[in-house]
Amino acid sequence: MSTEEITEAMNLLSAVESQTQDVTKLVDHLLKKATENEYNTSKGISFLELKYQLLLSYLMNLTYISLQKSQGSSIQDDPAIDRLIEIRTVLEKMRPIDKKLKYQVDKVVRTAASGGTDSSDPLRYRANPENLISKLDDESESESEGEEKKSKIYHPPKLTAMHYEGDETEMDKDQKVLERAKKRALSTSMLRELREEFSEGPTEIRETTSTQRSRAERKLRERTHYEEENFMRFSVSKKDKNEMKRVAGLSSLNNLTHFDDISALTEGRAPQAGGSSKKRKHGGKGKKGKKGFKKKRIH
Amino acid sequence: MSEGAATIRTRKFMTNRLLCRKQMIVDVLHPGKATIPKTEVREKLAKMYKTTPDVIFCFGFRTKFGGGKTSGFGLIYDSLDFAKKFEPKYRLQRHGLVEIKKTGRKQRKERKNRQKKVRGTKKAKVGAGKKK
Repeated sequence: MSTEEITEAMNLLSAVESQTQDVTKLVDHLLKKATENEYNTSKGISFLELKYQLLLSYLMNLTYISLQKSQGSSIQDDPAIDRLIEIRTVLEKMRPIDKKLKYQVDKVVRTAASGGTDSSDPLRYRANPENLISKLDDESESESEGEEKKSKIYHPPKLTAMHYEGDETEMDKDQKVLERAKKRALSTSMLRELREEFSEGPTEIRETTSTQRSRAERKLRERTHYEEENFMRFSVSKKDKNEMKRVAGLSSLNNLTHFDDISALTEGRAPQAGGSSKKRKHGGKGKKGKKGFKKKRIH
Repeated sequence: MSEGAATIRTRKFMTNRLLCRKQMIVDVLHPGKATIPKTEVREKLAKMYKTTPDVIFCFGFRTKFGGGKTSGFGLIYDSLDFAKKFEPKYRLQRHGLVEIKKTGRKQRKERKNRQKKVRGTKKAKVGAGKKK
């Protein structure tokens, strides 16, 4: 080992030491507070409590394993690894539930952080069922005696609060279109690969399936599943037949060199619609004759 | 069970007591050959399930893309009487157990047009004999 590497290793080790000191200080502080019952978690959402208990035990097992490794002892057939795997799978299974609860949790956290709820906060709007009750009976009595000039103009009934788009200028609309195009461009395969190249997280290796093929495959799988369950055969429509032919045939090779339009990010303008139009069938041109008019048969 | 380089395997076997039959999905493997006719599939199934081939009805055979494998459905009835009771007529006709009379398309259309000229119960009388 060269001297540079030795000095770098020494620096890293001292950094590790100082950081572990900070961590132990923080942990002691938290522990003191928890034992003094400053954090009351009895009324909390039990799902979240389970989650942080799992994370804690995961961390404990992980530190145990890393301790074993740094001491040089073997970790083969260690029960801690089984525990780690178990906790990891449970956490993965909890992820979709977490996603569903995300809105509620964010709302609660925001109210806790901001200290109160703003009455004009647009996120507090929800459907007002009282507005859905027809109030026509009351109105007709009052209007029959009153002026009839107002009833000539049609006013649509106001049932629920709707977003008003009338004051949007042309510029706003263009901006919105541009924003949407930018968002779409960010999720193209090119930019996704760039992001993976420069990200520092572990690389995930996934079986590559193009979206067209996966859609067609999914459809086919659903159809065969239904057919086998119900002991019947479907007749394949022309559209589906053509799609399957297109996906399985040589035309799918064109997609290898076809990249999406990211001009929204590079040039700052929304992509034109002309380039991405679907293939027109021959029927569009074939109906008209060469000279551009329909040839009619004269008996 | 293979004979002449064609293997038959059955999947999703179920005994349907309500319709007095056994139903299954039949997979035929025939690499390098064309799809096996239904009569041969019936014979092989009869040998597999130790029945006569006349109570076996198979249908819906579709060959997978690329050839070599075909999937279809098979029904094995407890007796021919039950088969005649429960099977749809077109499948019985394929086995020759029932004759479906078919008037030609032209005949049907002409009859309809003749009926259009008459009102009420006379419509039934019109179809009976060809006018002219």
